[in-house]
Amino acid sequence: MNFPDPVQMAVPLFIIAIILEMFAVRGGARGDYDWRDTGTSLAMGFGNTFAAVIFGATIVGVGVWLAQFRLLDIPATWWSLALCFVAEDFTYYWFHRSAHRVRWFWASHVVHHSSQHYNLSTALRQTWTGFFSLSFAFRLPLFLIGFPPEMILFCAGLNLVYQFFIHTEAVKRLPFGLEWWLNTPSHHRAHHGTNARYLDRNYGGVFIVWDRLFGTFEAERDDEPVRYGIVQNLATFNPVWVAFHEWLAIARDVAAADSWKARVMAIVGPPGWRVGTTADTIRAHWEASRHAPPAE
Amino acid sequence: MVWISLLGIVTLVLLARALGFAKAPLLADGAQARRVAADALHDFTPTDAAVASDRRGALVAGDDGRIALVRGFGDRWVVRIVNGAQALASGDRLRITSREAMFPAADLELGPDAAVWAQRL
Repeated sequence: MNFPDPVQMAVPLFIIAIILEMFAVRGGARGDYDWRDTGTSLAMGFGNTFAAVIFGATIVGVGVWLAQFRLLDIPATWWSLALCFVAEDFTYYWFHRSAHRVRWFWASHVVHHSSQHYNLSTALRQTWTGFFSLSFAFRLPLFLIGFPPEMILFCAGLNLVYQFFIHTEAVKRLPFGLEWWLNTPSHHRAHHGTNARYLDRNYGGVFIVWDRLFGTFEAERDDEPVRYGIVQNLATFNPVWVAFHEWLAIARDVAAADSWKARVMAIVGPPGWRVGTTADTIRAHWEASRHAPPAE
Repeated sequence: MVWISLLGIVTLVLLARALGFAKAPLLADGAQARRVAADALHDFTPTDAAVASDRRGALVAGDDGRIALVRGFGDRWVVRIVNGAQALASGDRLRITSREAMFPAADLELGPDAAVWAQRL
């Protein structure tokens, strides 16, 4: 079995799809673009490909090295490919959940959420520093289980390609019950929301069933439009600042911390811990205000 | 490959601009400024607001004494608490310079209230 690089193969499709979405929005489809925002998103995607070249070999090397200690010899067949695809998505769920809950991981992942837009170009707004936040570590168990390394990388690529196409407002809901088990444009719109209701929800990559299983699912509501972005939206399109701003904020908070607990929490605590704006506190505040009796 | 990618990026950005995706947001009134601030700051209850004459920015006061700056960014809004920021009133204008890196200074023409708002900061 040969495993090509799905992302490389899909790049022309990405470009065509973005062009089609722009024209569709101009023609009245739901969605929006801003040329400066799109420029930043594409610049981040461009830089991400360089980071992949620089660090990719090391990441693959670690995986292949671990594979020598594998528990099983899983053959490269269609059934194992399907199994690997599901297993890889499972590891993606936990990577993604950690990327939102642990600031060290968030420092890389925040890049993807830093646009106030939600369109196909947002999908390409990717980090340059994923290697340093150890995002690849979540996938390493698959090498230890015994899936062929090239199959794991192929499934990871397929996962990314799938996720590109759900970054759109043009598709409201998918039919035939797909919303129940797949991560869809609707579910992922909610994931990109800063509304208290939607914060830190819907971590699934391809399958939304992980969120349903682990209690992190939130359906998009028609009566509560999603406000895209991050809790404190950036005020610059500068790609270098977009790439590194949270790392600098971590360094600043560590330097200013007055206790070891504060230093540790500035690194591995939830984003917003220092200023009291974690997703949990925001949601708790929102829940309290919803259930508060009306003012006299 | 690098040059093809760069060409693709430039093409898409220029296409977005050519298709008119280059708006600048305008505030309709103080009520909208308060709504934008309340949406952006999860623990902020707005009371009153002063919208700049060009409608590209506003100051919004909260019930706890904090002041939020609402300013345009691309075709969206960004909001920051600006108590303690450098505020220079000059006639009808108020220039607010945040201490936050990469957050551009805001020039708001607030009319006779400019000095009053500067004091509240």
